[in-house]
Amino acid sequence: MIRSKASDQQPSRRNLLSSAGLGLGALAGASLLSACSTVTPTGGAAAPAGGAGSAGTNNPAYDSAIKSLVNGRTVQLGWTPPILSEMFNQMEKAAFGRMAELEQTYGINWKWERSAPTGNFDAVEQQVSIVRGWTARKFDAVLVCTGANFATMQDVYRQASSSGTRVFQFNQPVELYDEEKINTVSNIGYDNRWQSGYLAGTFIAKTLGGKGKIIQIMGPSGSDWSKARQIGFEKALRENPGLEVVGSADGGYLRDKGLNAAQDLLTRNRDINAIYGENEDMALGASQAVDAAGLKQWDGQQGVVIIGADGLLSGMESIAAGKLTATVDVGSVDQGRSFIDAVFRSVVLGETVAKTIEVPTRVVTKDNVAAAKAYIEGAMRPAKSY
Amino acid sequence: MSTSSVIGISSTRWGKVLQNPSAGALLLVGVLVISMSIAFPTFPSAINAGNVANQMVFVLLLALGMTVVLITGGIDLSVGSIMGLSAGVGAYSINSGAPLILGLLAAVGAGAVLGLANGLMITRLGLPDFIATLAMLGIARGLLFLWTNGVPFIGYMLPEYYVISGLERPFGFITVPIIIAAVAVLAIIFVLRKTSFGRHAYGVGSNPHAALLSGVPVDRVKITAYVISGLMAGLTGMLMAGRTTTVAPTMGLGYEIAAIAAAIIGGAALTGGRGHALGAVLGALVLSITANAINIAGVSSTWQQVVTGSVLLLAVVFDRASALLRERSTRSAGRLAVT
Amino acid sequence: MSARERLVRIASIDGLPIAAALVAAAVFFTAASPFFLTGENIRNLLIQSVFVILLAAGMTYVLIVGGIDLSVGSTTGLSAAMTLMTIMNGAPWPVGILAGIGTGVVVGVINGFFIAILQINAFIVTLATLSIGAGALQVITSGTQLTGVDSETFLALTKGNILGIPTGLVITLVIIALLEWVLLATPYGRSLFAVGTNPQAAFLAGTSIRRANFSVYLLSGVIAGAAGVLLASHLNSVQPGLGQGYELSAIAAAVLGGIALSGGRGSVWRSLIGALFLATLSQGLQLVGVDPLWFNIVTGASIVIAVAFDRATQHFIAGQLRSLARKQSHDISGGGLEAEALRSPAAAAPIEVQPAGAGNHEITSGARNI
Repeated sequence: MIRSKASDQQPSRRNLLSSAGLGLGALAGASLLSACSTVTPTGGAAAPAGGAGSAGTNNPAYDSAIKSLVNGRTVQLGWTPPILSEMFNQMEKAAFGRMAELEQTYGINWKWERSAPTGNFDAVEQQVSIVRGWTARKFDAVLVCTGANFATMQDVYRQASSSGTRVFQFNQPVELYDEEKINTVSNIGYDNRWQSGYLAGTFIAKTLGGKGKIIQIMGPSGSDWSKARQIGFEKALRENPGLEVVGSADGGYLRDKGLNAAQDLLTRNRDINAIYGENEDMALGASQAVDAAGLKQWDGQQGVVIIGADGLLSGMESIAAGKLTATVDVGSVDQGRSFIDAVFRSVVLGETVAKTIEVPTRVVTKDNVAAAKAYIEGAMRPAKSY
Repeated sequence: MSTSSVIGISSTRWGKVLQNPSAGALLLVGVLVISMSIAFPTFPSAINAGNVANQMVFVLLLALGMTVVLITGGIDLSVGSIMGLSAGVGAYSINSGAPLILGLLAAVGAGAVLGLANGLMITRLGLPDFIATLAMLGIARGLLFLWTNGVPFIGYMLPEYYVISGLERPFGFITVPIIIAAVAVLAIIFVLRKTSFGRHAYGVGSNPHAALLSGVPVDRVKITAYVISGLMAGLTGMLMAGRTTTVAPTMGLGYEIAAIAAAIIGGAALTGGRGHALGAVLGALVLSITANAINIAGVSSTWQQVVTGSVLLLAVVFDRASALLRERSTRSAGRLAVT
Repeated sequence: MSARERLVRIASIDGLPIAAALVAAAVFFTAASPFFLTGENIRNLLIQSVFVILLAAGMTYVLIVGGIDLSVGSTTGLSAAMTLMTIMNGAPWPVGILAGIGTGVVVGVINGFFIAILQINAFIVTLATLSIGAGALQVITSGTQLTGVDSETFLALTKGNILGIPTGLVITLVIIALLEWVLLATPYGRSLFAVGTNPQAAFLAGTSIRRANFSVYLLSGVIAGAAGVLLASHLNSVQPGLGQGYELSAIAAAVLGGIALSGGRGSVWRSLIGALFLATLSQGLQLVGVDPLWFNIVTGASIVIAVAFDRATQHFIAGQLRSLARKQSHDISGGGLEAEALRSPAAAAPIEVQPAGAGNHEITSGARNI
């Protein structure tokens, strides 16, 4: 349900702060910083993800010192995404890869429990009770991404922290809230405004030369992801007055609804230049609608530009096949690896980590799809599953 | 139902139209189409008509099955989940090398089997229809999630599947799904009117007691109704898998409510014994035109639910108004006959 | 009294099979997880389930007259929003509570008007008001951030204690007891059963079917409004989509408690047990560490088993009652057993000759416009 995208064209204050914060945290183990560079907010693509890699540094003395600090400890983690989807599957596999590396190098034992509501009903309540249950069972750390109300969750987090369970959020649009009021150790994700919505808007502007008519397929209104991305997208529209949104509809983050909505909007506006789908599924639905309406998709010179957001393997395949112009890859792999590192440093080593850790995001087009795809595919084969 | 329109006495053409039990819904469709056409010149285009027809196929097929179940006095909450799981079965079969036709049959067959399971739970275990199909809603959806681990099925789209699912349109606006839906409507009309199952279904729904006493095989009728509903859900899943080219574990979520709503707008009742296939068509049309009109009119997504709910309410108020007219004309005709 | 008679007497206690299923589930989870039977967990479980318990109680009334109310979930969410919005705009907390309950009254009156007065299909009317209510919540929350009331008294509605019991639970139990009393001990309550069982007979006996129908939707709306007030106090925040799906849980709880969708049967107590069973199941599975992907499957299977068990017990009782009646009819007549049996659904079993599932929908009549 919940996805995003983008690159770092607009480093925010938060971004700078978080890099600084990570630097501080790393003082305790300077060489670990370089070893874990894939974990840092800026080093996403630096090291190969997945495979049977190890987390080891070139400093054996340091590695063995950390190993004796860890002392074979077992850490119990609970991970709850808002729904099980391709996006969160990629993230989980990437997390496994990083866990396996840390296990191999430092002898840490992980216990992993995944709990995702299945979306029929009561999904939000289910997540609240999932976190409460883990708190009662004295988990070391829980990782949460949720559509539940902000204030509700802060209450749940406060209870968890006070009974000794550390709370981390991932993929959560925390940029909409006051950092001080967030009762988590750290939030690993990206800024939906500038690293997603804004990025999609500027991509459309750049591709079309700053001028064109756009159709928007939006997620269910009211969600924090939707709100945050819209802020960024609207900023891009303001900066490019030649762009005009001629129609928008609710696609519910679902492909069939996105397809229907795009079909209906295309009836009214056959002369559009671009479609912005707030997630990849809806963008792919829109792509089918464009084909069915007999319109031409963007070929580098002309046609309808279609951009989505997520960074799913299936979406990358569509880009390679020319069925989607671009997507904003929101760094599912880096998020997975980063939150494991944040847990390792904070829970196991007792270091501080930045309150907000942002991973790199990027626009993926036909030009760079091979690299983006290979990066995720590598992470999909972790050395060990938990 | 058809009896009331046969007995209807008013001689004017309008009177006859209004005596049709679905006149209200029909009137609403007319009002919607006319007002939308005036406000948005692109609305009455052939392209848009084609869009609406292609979009309504799914709810229509589910509503047909639902109508049969409602006639027998049951309710099937599991159609959305069955639709998703069946689509998964079809996609998986094709991905593991089955020829397309076998894959499609597997999807439809899976739907029928799950429908059979519903029927058996209800008749053999004596579970209330609502509970049995609610359980199936959870079980089928849970199985699909467990099976896929959340990752959608892809890569099953053989070239012919594009045609079957209507993404490619060799015959213009008349796509294969529209043809399939038309055949399904005719088939259900035939089953309800011309077979002993059809006659028994109305009997079981309106008075199960009397039906049993007069020797109707009540259990078999109920099981058959759920198998038909499951089969329709499987067929819908098969077509939807083709339309969306991926089977996400959330496929079909919430479709049961749309299906029930369409069947009821079309004249079926939860109390059983009422409903007809053409009514399901009308119900599906009301829902699809409303959704289409909302998109074309550019209603902000914040207000969409309010508008949808209001139109729904309007549909039943229209229906009720036409029923009142019907009653009045029957009454006045009765008075005439007396004097 | 023979052993067999005693067994029948015990088995026919109202709601016993589902209560037994609840106890079995609780015992199982206590054995499987050391965290289940702890004060904190039971407290959490009860506070989290009061909303569905309340809605299920209101739903019981609606189901008894043969209706259905799908709008209760979205009404709960909307009422919570109205309550918070009123208090956040500076009104004292009692006014906020009135605003919440008033929202329920408005929805209830709208439902009642269309269903009882205009005699329109209850499923469609309440589906429409569900959609409108959820949409209105969407509209309200898109404009304002509804979070953070600081009235201590208002928050204490759910967070405080009365004699060590959470206040919200006490309020709920009082409402439940009142509703059960009205249903079982007043002429009004009895008239509802009459309308649900046989509207024509009830009409001939002088009951206003219109008034009975109107009253249950109004009541269901008021209860949903009250649930919304408690929810607002519990969460102290409101988001779009709040309350979504509560209606299905409430109906499932009521039906699990043995209430038929065809009307004429049910008690608030049984719905309460049904709601607790569902809540225990979902929380217990969570504590045992079952992946929620299995929840739907396990919950579905448990419901099937629990209801099948309930049915089997009823068949057993019905069979025993028949044979006992044959053997020693004079011994039983006038005894407590018969009175109990009359109230329990078992009594209906011998009458409903057809398979239980088929018995759900009885003779249609204009008055029961579902």
